[in-house]
Amino acid sequence: MERIVAHFVAALRESGIRVSPGESLDAVQALALCGVEGRRSSRQLLRLTLVKNVNDIPLFNEVFNRFFSRFTFDNPDLDVPGLMDAAIIGMEGEFNYLNERKHDDDDEPGPLIKLDSEINPEDLAELKSLTEIDPDDTDGNEIVVQMKGYRGKARKAPRPTRRYTQNPLTIELNKSGSGADSGITFTPEEQAAMQDVVSRMMLRLRKDMKRMKNDQNRGKLHVIKTIQKNYRHDMIPFQVALRRKRRQKPRLVVLCDVSYSVSHASRFMLLLLHTLHNQMLDVRSFIFNRELAEITEMLANMPVNDLMVTIDKGDIVDLDENSSFGQVFLEFKKRYLENLRGRPAFIILGDARNNYDEANDWVLDEIREKARYMLWLTPEERDTWSRGDCLMEIYGSYCDKVEVVKTVEDLSLVVEDLLRDIYADTAHPIDKKRLREVKSAASETYDSRDYYTRGTSGGSEPAFDPAGRSHW
Amino acid sequence: MITEQGVKDFLQAGGYIADEAIATAVFLALRMEKPILIEGPPGVGKTGLAKALSNALDFPLVRLQCYEGIDEGKALYDWEYGKQLLYTQLLRTQLDNYLSVSADLREAVERLSAEESLFFSKNFLVQRPILRSFMSEKRSLLLIDEIDRSDDEFEALLLESLSDFQVSIPELGVIEAKRKPLTILTSNGTRMISDALRRRCLYLYIGYPELEREVAIVRAKFPDLCEDLARQMVEFLRQARELNLRKPPSVSETLDWAQVLSILKAKQLTPEMVANTVGVIAKHQTDLQKVTDLASQVLA
Repeated sequence: MERIVAHFVAALRESGIRVSPGESLDAVQALALCGVEGRRSSRQLLRLTLVKNVNDIPLFNEVFNRFFSRFTFDNPDLDVPGLMDAAIIGMEGEFNYLNERKHDDDDEPGPLIKLDSEINPEDLAELKSLTEIDPDDTDGNEIVVQMKGYRGKARKAPRPTRRYTQNPLTIELNKSGSGADSGITFTPEEQAAMQDVVSRMMLRLRKDMKRMKNDQNRGKLHVIKTIQKNYRHDMIPFQVALRRKRRQKPRLVVLCDVSYSVSHASRFMLLLLHTLHNQMLDVRSFIFNRELAEITEMLANMPVNDLMVTIDKGDIVDLDENSSFGQVFLEFKKRYLENLRGRPAFIILGDARNNYDEANDWVLDEIREKARYMLWLTPEERDTWSRGDCLMEIYGSYCDKVEVVKTVEDLSLVVEDLLRDIYADTAHPIDKKRLREVKSAASETYDSRDYYTRGTSGGSEPAFDPAGRSHW
Repeated sequence: MITEQGVKDFLQAGGYIADEAIATAVFLALRMEKPILIEGPPGVGKTGLAKALSNALDFPLVRLQCYEGIDEGKALYDWEYGKQLLYTQLLRTQLDNYLSVSADLREAVERLSAEESLFFSKNFLVQRPILRSFMSEKRSLLLIDEIDRSDDEFEALLLESLSDFQVSIPELGVIEAKRKPLTILTSNGTRMISDALRRRCLYLYIGYPELEREVAIVRAKFPDLCEDLARQMVEFLRQARELNLRKPPSVSETLDWAQVLSILKAKQLTPEMVANTVGVIAKHQTDLQKVTDLASQVLA
């Protein structure tokens, strides 16, 4: 019984549900208490003890059905009599020839079904009660177990990553071109996934921010609160309450390319910022193709999907024209640059494909004078930056950082890093130092991402250096 | 010896119609002595289950309502500062006499600190819900209601109590539960509960009940309501839940409505009847309109 549960837990883990050893022990205990009477009750017992999240329940059901079923996996050359023989041989105690199990069975199209050598006849007998799907299906004599090498599978189980309290979630931004028309609006799953990414990110950020707020946002003595707090100490002020300084939310300006080439990424970016807005940030969002338009108000007041449809119809900016970054920067300077306040951080999302228009890169130099920090996000890999009409090399030299983002995960990591930077920038010097230490320690172990950092990460004077370009 | 069917039966006797999943969860929680975490939309009977269980099993109910900012002083224990101060004042003469024997200050301090534990004893300990349920002579039912309203820190605070059924008090040491209470945590899912807490509990999701069960629930509470009407109203409410309302009518709304209909001595559901009583089932202005529209479509 324990072994079957262990195998089932392995199957659950492989499909992405995180089950702790303690929970599998609970499952065994529960099964022992209630007995394995029928399919329904076993399913219920396993679900009660192993699944701890509503969203995982459908997945659990799927795994349960697949695991305790007859032939539901599609392996055409599955050898039923052979399997039966194996089972019989197994019961007779001659497993040895089965032991040549492949540990890395990822690519091997070998037989899906293998009886684990450690299974004993009692286990199989117990399993029998679990396999009854439909009593009048067949005579019900076959025993079918889907068990691959357990050790091979353990490797695929979801692991906690360094930054995540739960298993990371990945959504592909670079959907293939064929799916372009289906990707106009967000499906509920995508929205839920986005909410999930954002809420986890918030969770991680909130801890740091809270601590920082507690540490430095303290001002004068708050007399009333101090008296209240020390009532129990006979008014002797053991504990002191201080007033909190008001702090402004960090400002962020986002320019999103919405042309077809990067539309998926920019949509997620908009949604991400929309979710973040008001919670931690003051965001001004712009979209552009050849024209530039501010959509801050619309993002705040319209349902996101409606806005996406409006953008997609080309009602806000004309989508039929070729995108021109140079043109857009010029327009931004003319219309908005003058009244940008509060040293916002700047994010530009786009592939920097200028369609051989004038680059107007000098505008970026002016923008960076107003900006606290400049970040360029591109969905394209580094090697294509200098090909064709891509001006990433030129534009990139004006930015503090250029990052390649391909998934929502990447995107949220980037934005999180940015937020930390912004907060660190306004933090107390002591705290700044500490944060920088944390950050450098983190980047030492976490260096798999492909990014380029110009200047030091501490954000020293971001002066434009023409010689820097040649490094690209 | 309780069985699963037994759980179902005694819950039914207490007026709570449980389905198989609920009965199994309660049975396991009783046998394995593990807490149950119940999630589900508001009004499906999460708290009701706890109350029904406390009645049926005759476990005294100890309820802890969570809210933002709840801390150990409100949930576990607290020291009675007022009483401690009062006692020191009242016992001043005794203390004077007691200490006057000592030759010097050092000795006085030593004598006093030897008696320190007097002032941090169970006499001055205020038991808050969790400790109270642990100290109860009879096995109790601890209901930690709407855990999702509390902060992360509070959740972490609960971990010790939930996994080991003990409370650590620095001045007194570890206090273990006399009888492990049957513990039920409820959550409306407004916030993700941490994995650490989930791991320590059995997890039960209570959704909207199936048609038959909901009819049974109505019939159990209001036996004088005729079966046809009960069925008709439940079916109508099930359709209303599909309407994408801001606040979909839950089981508690079903029961309220059943009560209203039985007071009005209704025999059948008509669009007029729905229009007159719509405030019981729809709780937002936009919802009111949607529900009356549905009534005129379906019941006409």
